[in-house]
Amino acid sequence: MSEKTRRTRTLCGNCRYHNTYRYPDQVFCFARFSKRENPVVSIFYHCDEWENKLQDCFCLEDSLRKRGEKAK
Amino acid sequence: MKREDFLSKPVTHMKLKPNMTVNQIVQQFKNSGSFGAGRLATACDVYENMVRDEKCTVFLALAGAMVPAGLRATLSDLIRKRLIDALVSTGANMVHDLIEALGGRHYQGHWQVDDYLLYKYHIYRIYDVFVPEEDFIKADETLIKMFDEIATKIQGKRLSTNQLMWEVGKRLKDPSSIVRSAYEAKVPIFLPAMRDSEFAYIHTVHQARSNPAKALTVDAFKEVPELLDIASHSERLGMIVLGGGVPRNSVQHAALMTGKGLDYAVVITTDRPEPGGLSGSTIEETISWGKVKHKANKVMVIGDALICFPVMVASVMERLGPNFRRKGNP
Repeated sequence: MSEKTRRTRTLCGNCRYHNTYRYPDQVFCFARFSKRENPVVSIFYHCDEWENKLQDCFCLEDSLRKRGEKAK
Repeated sequence: MKREDFLSKPVTHMKLKPNMTVNQIVQQFKNSGSFGAGRLATACDVYENMVRDEKCTVFLALAGAMVPAGLRATLSDLIRKRLIDALVSTGANMVHDLIEALGGRHYQGHWQVDDYLLYKYHIYRIYDVFVPEEDFIKADETLIKMFDEIATKIQGKRLSTNQLMWEVGKRLKDPSSIVRSAYEAKVPIFLPAMRDSEFAYIHTVHQARSNPAKALTVDAFKEVPELLDIASHSERLGMIVLGGGVPRNSVQHAALMTGKGLDYAVVITTDRPEPGGLSGSTIEETISWGKVKHKANKVMVIGDALICFPVMVASVMERLGPNFRRKGNP
């Protein structure tokens, strides 16, 4: 996967609402929490409110790497 | 004054030996009587006088990131031992207490680090202390739910910052927590700049989750009469300041508004008076306002509070001995 693709894929890890919850795999979403929905979701999840904003963080990258390592 | 009055007390040179206790070193500082060492030794005397004075109410004004940097347990002990009677703090210090009370930690880091790298790893820096974002987030999550619960319980009643802190303290289990200790010891915690901290975010999300009419209302002014009530029921007033800022002036202002003035004052700060800010203002400047009495037992120590305060507390605890008990005021 190219760097560009990685950073624009529709995933929580690329959404402006994400905060890390269990680095790097789980994020805490305050948008969901405000609506009393379960706020802890996978970094690979996304919902209708997904709003791309590059945070320049490593969570998605590290999570993908971790996933790749697990698959080996 | 005559010439000989200026030359009455020679500097006695410090003698350091192996296995000296903290108070023995402070006594050597006192023998020197000079610069920061002399001021710190005086601060120990002033604090000892404050806690030995049964009619004195001791306020601790807390600013700067003292809790993340390691003063949490010390402050909690002081509260439980009633070596302070009221805490006036920044909101942030209590947030950092709650982060640890709810399972988070602060980490030893370095001030020379790539901050953009920290940003990418979701790590926040407080000089050379690191806090993982998830520890903030987990504390936020619990506190927002706690705010929801408190709002339901109080049903529209407006709380002061102290009432809110006791409600939070009631729901904590960690005995090392400042907020829990304050609740158990019935020591008030006032947060005059509460909204200037993570509490603002916590309240905003709590409000978004609630029916706005039923959301928790914290009345910023409600703590003023509470603070004044303590001051007016106290025969004498003492203040220890770490840093300065809003907490320092809140205590001083209570002393002024009750027409009492502080009888004891220890200010530990690195701030300077020349720019006119309150944190660096000299205690003498404070006298001009009537906030501190002209003849108060007072000293200002220019130094890192994270070094000076534990030395002062350890020295005074040593002087008081293990059997010293203070009932607390007012």
